[in-house]
Amino acid sequence: MHNNMSHFSLKSLFGAVFLFFAFSFGLKAQDGAKLFKQNCAVCHAVTDQKLTGPGLAGIFDRAPKGDWLKNWILNNEKLIKSGDAYANKIYNENGKAAMTVFEGQLTDKDVDAILAYVKNPPADNAAAAGAPAPGAEVEKEEVKGGIDPLYLLLGAIAVLAIIIGSLRSVRHSLQNSYNRKEGKEETEELSFFDEVKQWITGNRRLVGVFVIIIVFGGMKSCWDACYDLGVYYDWETQKGYKPEQPIKFSHKLHAGDNEIACQYCHNSVEKSRHAGIPSVNICMNCHKGIQKGPQYGEKEIAKIYEASGFDPKTGNYTNPQNPIKWIKVHTLPDHVYFNHKQHVVVGKQECATCHGDLKKMTVAEQKTPLTMKWCIECHRKTEVAMEGNAYYDRMHKALKEKYKGQYDVKFTVDKIGGLECAKCHY
Amino acid sequence: MNLSYKNLKLITCGTVAVMLVAGFTSCGKKDANSPGFEFMPDMYRSPSVEYYGTHIVNGDTVNSAKLPVQGSIARGYVPYVYPNTPEGYEQAGLYLKNPLAYSESLEKEGEVLYGKFCIHCHGANGGGDGKVGAKLPGPPPAYDGPLKNLPEGKIFHSITYGKNSMGSHASQLTQEERWKLVYFVQKLQGPKTVVSDSVKVNAATEPKKL
Repeated sequence: MHNNMSHFSLKSLFGAVFLFFAFSFGLKAQDGAKLFKQNCAVCHAVTDQKLTGPGLAGIFDRAPKGDWLKNWILNNEKLIKSGDAYANKIYNENGKAAMTVFEGQLTDKDVDAILAYVKNPPADNAAAAGAPAPGAEVEKEEVKGGIDPLYLLLGAIAVLAIIIGSLRSVRHSLQNSYNRKEGKEETEELSFFDEVKQWITGNRRLVGVFVIIIVFGGMKSCWDACYDLGVYYDWETQKGYKPEQPIKFSHKLHAGDNEIACQYCHNSVEKSRHAGIPSVNICMNCHKGIQKGPQYGEKEIAKIYEASGFDPKTGNYTNPQNPIKWIKVHTLPDHVYFNHKQHVVVGKQECATCHGDLKKMTVAEQKTPLTMKWCIECHRKTEVAMEGNAYYDRMHKALKEKYKGQYDVKFTVDKIGGLECAKCHY
Repeated sequence: MNLSYKNLKLITCGTVAVMLVAGFTSCGKKDANSPGFEFMPDMYRSPSVEYYGTHIVNGDTVNSAKLPVQGSIARGYVPYVYPNTPEGYEQAGLYLKNPLAYSESLEKEGEVLYGKFCIHCHGANGGGDGKVGAKLPGPPPAYDGPLKNLPEGKIFHSITYGKNSMGSHASQLTQEERWKLVYFVQKLQGPKTVVSDSVKVNAATEPKKL
C-alpha cells in the first residue's frame, strides 16, 4: 500500500510538472473566450441571465472601479473576509454560494483576458447557447390537402337530387302538353314517393341487386369498423393516435439528436409497472441552463418555467406552480395488466419494440396497435432471454428437463405461460 | 356487344351502389388528435384512481399526479444529514464515505447508470463533452480535470442536491444507485493527485450521527 502510494505520488509529481509546463505554454496562446468557457461559464453568463452566479452584463458599471474585479476573481474569500462592503453584499445576494478561488489557477494576465472578453462578448455568443444551429432542419407540418371525399359524395348527391327534381316537373309538363295535343286526358302530377314506388315495381331485378350490394357492403364495413373499436391505430396506414401535447416536446430532438437515454426521463421504467411521465424537476435539470430551443425559441421552454414556478430572471423557484397536463398516448384498457419492469428488466425488451422509434418522432405517436392479438403474436415468436438471466435459472432447468432430447425447441414466451389468461387479466 | 338496355341499367345501378358503399367506408379517416371510439368504457376505465389522470372523488376534482404526503419516507430510504449549503458540501466531502464495499460488478452497474443518467452532459469519458453539455451555458468540468480530486462525499452530495447548472438527481436515482455511480465517476477521475481533501471545515462541525 505504502509502496503503491509513493509510486503514485512520484508519477503524479511528474504529471503535475508536465501539466504545469503544458499549461504555462498553452495558456499564452489561449484567449479570453476559451478561458471564460473553461473557468467561468459553468456559473456565469455574459448576458444578464442568472445561472448559479449572477449574469455579467453591465458588471463594469455595477462593480467598484479599480482592481476590485480582479481581486474578487482571484480570491473572493479574502475579499469577503476583509470586510469589503460590495463583496459582502453580492455574497449575501447570491445565497452565500461560494465562488471558486482562482488564485494559483489563473494569472493576472488570464484575468485581464477574461475581463476583456466579458466587456465585449461576441454578439452571437450573447444570443444564448440554444440559438438554432446552421442547417437545423425545420420540420414541415403535413399539409392536409383536398376536401374530404365524403363531402364530395354528399355534394354530388345533392346536385343530382336538384336536377332530378327539376327534370321531373319538366317531364310532367311536357307529357301534359303532348297529351293535350293528342286530345288525351291530362294526368295529375304524382308525388315523389308514388313515382318511386311505381319505378320500383317496374324494376324489381334492378332494385334487388342494388339492395344486396348495399346490405353486404354495409355489413363488411361494419365488420371492419369493429377492428377499430377501442384501438387508436389505423391498420392500413399504420398510423396511430398522435395527440397534440400541451408543450411541443420533441422526442427526436431530446432522445435522437441529443442522445438522452429514454430512462433519464422515464426513470421508473426499470423499477415500476409504469414507465412514468417525468415530473417537471427532471425537465429543469437541463432547462435551468438551456433557455432557448432550436425550433420554438423561448416560447415552449417558458411553459416549463410556468409549470415549475421558475423565474429565469432570478434563477429561483418563486412563481406559482401549474402542473403540465400531458396527454397519455399509449393506453391499455383497465382490465389489462401490463408491467414495464417485467418486460424491460427481465424480458430485456427494447423500448422501440412497442413504442416505435421515438428517436425519429417529433410528436409522439402510437406506432403499434396494442391489441391483444398483437400481444399474443409477440409472445408466440419472442424467445425468452434465459441465458445469463438469473431470473429464469429455475425455469430454464425445468424446461431443459421437459424437452430433453429435442433440439429445435425454442423457448418462446408462450412456452412459459405467456398465453395464460390470468397473466394479464385478473 | 350484345348488351340490352335492361342489362346496361343493371350494371350501372350496381356500379353506383358499390361506389356508394366504398365512398362511405373510405371516409372514416382518423383524426390524429382523437383517441377513436371506445367500446364499453366501463371496462376500460375502472372507478379506481389511476396513476396519471384527473378523477372526481367525493365531488372534488383530484389530479392523481401528486407529491407524496409531506414527511413520507420511501422504503429503503436512509436520511441524508448534510444540508444543501456550501457548509454541507464541505462536510460531505470530509466525512461522507461510500457505504458499499467496492467490487468490479458495482462499478459496472455504475457504468450502466452513467450511460443513462450522466453521459449526455458529462460525456462518455467524463470530459464534460456530452451533446447536452455543449448546449449548456457552460459545459460541466472534466472529471480528470478540475474535478480530479473531488472526494466521494462531494460527488454524492452533488448528485443528491445538484451543483451549479446541474439539478438534483435524487428523484431519479436511489441512494444505492448514486453510490454505484460514485465508483464509476472515481474510475473516470483516475488516480488522485492529492491524497486528502483540503481541510476547510474543522472537526467540530462534524454532523451528529443518527
